[in-house]
Formats: sequence, structure tokens, C-alpha cells
Amino acid sequence: MSEPLDELAALPPPAPPPIGGALEAELSHLEPAAMRRPLRQLAVLVGASLVYGAGLVFVLTTRQDLRELPIGWLAGVALGWLFGFLVPSYVALMPRPGAVTPRWQLAAIAAVVASVGFVSLGLAVHPAGPSSSSYGVERFGHGHTCLELGLATALVPVVIGAIFLRGALPIGSRWIAAALGAGGGCLGGLVLHLYCHIADGLHVGLIHGGVVVVAALLSAAIVPRTTNVR
Amino acid sequence: MADAKDLMARYCDGDASAFRELYALLAPRLYGYLLKMARQRALADDLLQHTFMKVHRARTAYIRGADPVPWIYSIAHRTFLDETRKVKRAIVRVGDADELPELKADLRGETDDRRDDPADPELMQAALAALAALPEQQRQAVVLTKLEGKSVAEAAEIAGTTVGAMKVRAHRGYEVLRKLLGGKAAKGPTDTRTSRAGGTR
Repeated sequence: MSEPLDELAALPPPAPPPIGGALEAELSHLEPAAMRRPLRQLAVLVGASLVYGAGLVFVLTTRQDLRELPIGWLAGVALGWLFGFLVPSYVALMPRPGAVTPRWQLAAIAAVVASVGFVSLGLAVHPAGPSSSSYGVERFGHGHTCLELGLATALVPVVIGAIFLRGALPIGSRWIAAALGAGGGCLGGLVLHLYCHIADGLHVGLIHGGVVVVAALLSAAIVPRTTNVR
Repeated sequence: MADAKDLMARYCDGDASAFRELYALLAPRLYGYLLKMARQRALADDLLQHTFMKVHRARTAYIRGADPVPWIYSIAHRTFLDETRKVKRAIVRVGDADELPELKADLRGETDDRRDDPADPELMQAALAALAALPEQQRQAVVLTKLEGKSVAEAAEIAGTTVGAMKVRAHRGYEVLRKLLGGKAAKGPTDTRTSRAGGTR
């Protein structure tokens, strides 16, 4: 055999040490453990989050200019936000068939596309009616309440996702957390879309869209502490 | 013999003997992988125990019917990174003649005189030294694709990187090995499933 690496590859596996004392102690009182069921978890996350979001809209009431805006735009953007919530949540929880860990590459793509997409969309398209308001550049800072409301909405799906994925991710946990955050941020964007009557581009793009970005960043920074395998 | 999926499912259902079977099935491969990465027997022993303890703690994350092997390899590699950074243990460098023979014996689990077809000691020594000289990511790529018989996609999944990045790491690793071994080694990961005796599944 002339290949040195082939020599190494052909060696039989080494004899490992026996199972350690700590692990033996754990095995001595082993209990059945409920395994992860990603589809069920996704259904719970989506269902609970949508109920929470709908409850917020009900409590806050819908935007005052709702009937003045193009119905096609209202429905289309609402569907976009909903899609933005569902897709990142799906890729953050669902591995490919036969795998244990969710696909962090897809999660990364979903988080980035949602973040960039909704900021751009809000900056570009923001129709207004007679009852709509505008903050503009001068009062841009007044929009912080929308940011806070959006993040509060995002909290529910992110926390539920973090609980479902706790201790489950040896790799890619930051991107998966970012996707969870982006999905939650999109749910926040949907609530704001139905509630907030501020219709200038800066507010809709940078505050409503910014909820997705901030939620994704915060989630990526915090959630891996829970989801990393320890 | 039951496969890893069945054993993992039975173990999660509370069958401790299934865990022991799973350990018997996977520990030799993981130990070999960790030895090649850590290059110290005591450290590899610790890493193996930590890996299986983490698998035990994280068993509720397992999905029935899924292949647990890439997941457990990922945990092993994450454990290697975390533990080596945490304890900052000195890693044996290239040419440390005191350590490499022990590693060689560990890797095969037997001594030269017990093998029917003894490997060329010089080649083995050269390969181990060259492997030890590689940066961590390239070493992981070469170990997984060439020595552990994983496909590039599987290796990427274990390492938590993209297929493209894994190909680049493996290619660069082979380039370095080719230089260090004077052209005797490293054909590249063209057929990554054929090199390991006995396979990995």
C-alpha cells in the first residue's frame, strides 16, 4: 500500500474506553424520554403565536385608515408578513427527512431574505389614505413604540422555539435562532401592518421592517445559550 | 445487529442496554475520530465521555427514525472544540516523536506485531505527522472525508459548514499533505466512501 493516508484509513477502529462512572450512574435510573416531534412543535408554535398576534390586534384595534387603503395591497402585504413568519419558523424547526438537526443554511437564507426583504418592501411601497399619519425624518424616533410592540409580539414564537430546541443544536444554532427571530419579527410586522396607521416609508421600512432585523439579531445573540448542546 | 436508529429510539424509550449497544457501535469510530483530532489519548478519552454524556442529556432532541450518527459526530466535534479551548491543553505538534507512536497504536487499537499485514511504519509515521501539522479545520476535513469515509455532504453536516467550504478545506488539506509527504499521499476526496475499511454505517 503506497498511500500513507490509505494506511491510516485501513486501520481498524481503536478500542474505546468503557462507559464512564457518571454516565453509568445516569443509565442506572434511565427513564423514557419524549423525543422531539418537529411537525407537532411547528403546529404549536404557529398556532399559539397566531392566537397571540390576533389577540394583540383585537386589544389594540385595527388601524384607522384600514378602509381607505387598497385592499389588494393590504391583503398582499399581510400574506407576505404571514409567509415571512411561517417559512423561517418552518426551517428553524424542521430538519430534512432522516436528520436530527434543522438546516441551518436554509435558516440563514430565510433570516437574511426576510430581514432585507421587508425593510426594502416597506421603504418602497407604503400607500397612505386621508386618515394615515406620517412621522417623516423629523419625528422618526417617535416610532419606537412600534418597534417595542413588534418585538413583544416576536417574543412568543422565539421563546416557544427556544424551548422546543433547547439543548438540541450542536451546530448552526446562531442561524437557526436568527430564523426564529426573523419569523417572530414578521409576526410582529403583521400585527403592526394591521394596527399602525403611520404610513411614511421610513417608518414602515425601518421600524416595521426593522422589527425583523432586530428580532433576528437579538434572537441570534441570546437563544443559542439555550439551544446549544451542553 | 440493530442499527443506530433503532438503538437510539430504544434508548430514548428507556432501554439502557440499547445505549450500551449504541456505545459499542459508535464509540470506536468516534474515539478514532477524536484521537485523530485531539492527538492525545487522555484528552480523547475525556472527549468521548463528554460526548456521550451530552448525547444522553440531549436525547429528547432526537427524532424517531432519524440517523443519529451525523448528529453525534457533530456533538463530538463541538465537544472537541469547547473542551480544547476551555482547558487550553498543549497539543502535540509535528515531529514530537514521543507522542506519535502512542497515537499510532491508539488509532489501530493493536500493535504492529499483531497485524497480519503490518503497515509501513515510516509511511504511517509520516502520515500522522503530516496530519498533525494541518490546521484544525483542514485536519477535520481530511479525517472525515478520507479516514472516516464520510461523503463531503456528510462531513459538511457534521462540521456545520457548507459543502463548498468542506471541499475547499479538504482540498487545501490534501495540498498541504501532498507537500509534506512528498507526493506520496492525497489523491483528494474524489471517492470519499471507498477509503475506510468496514465503512461507517
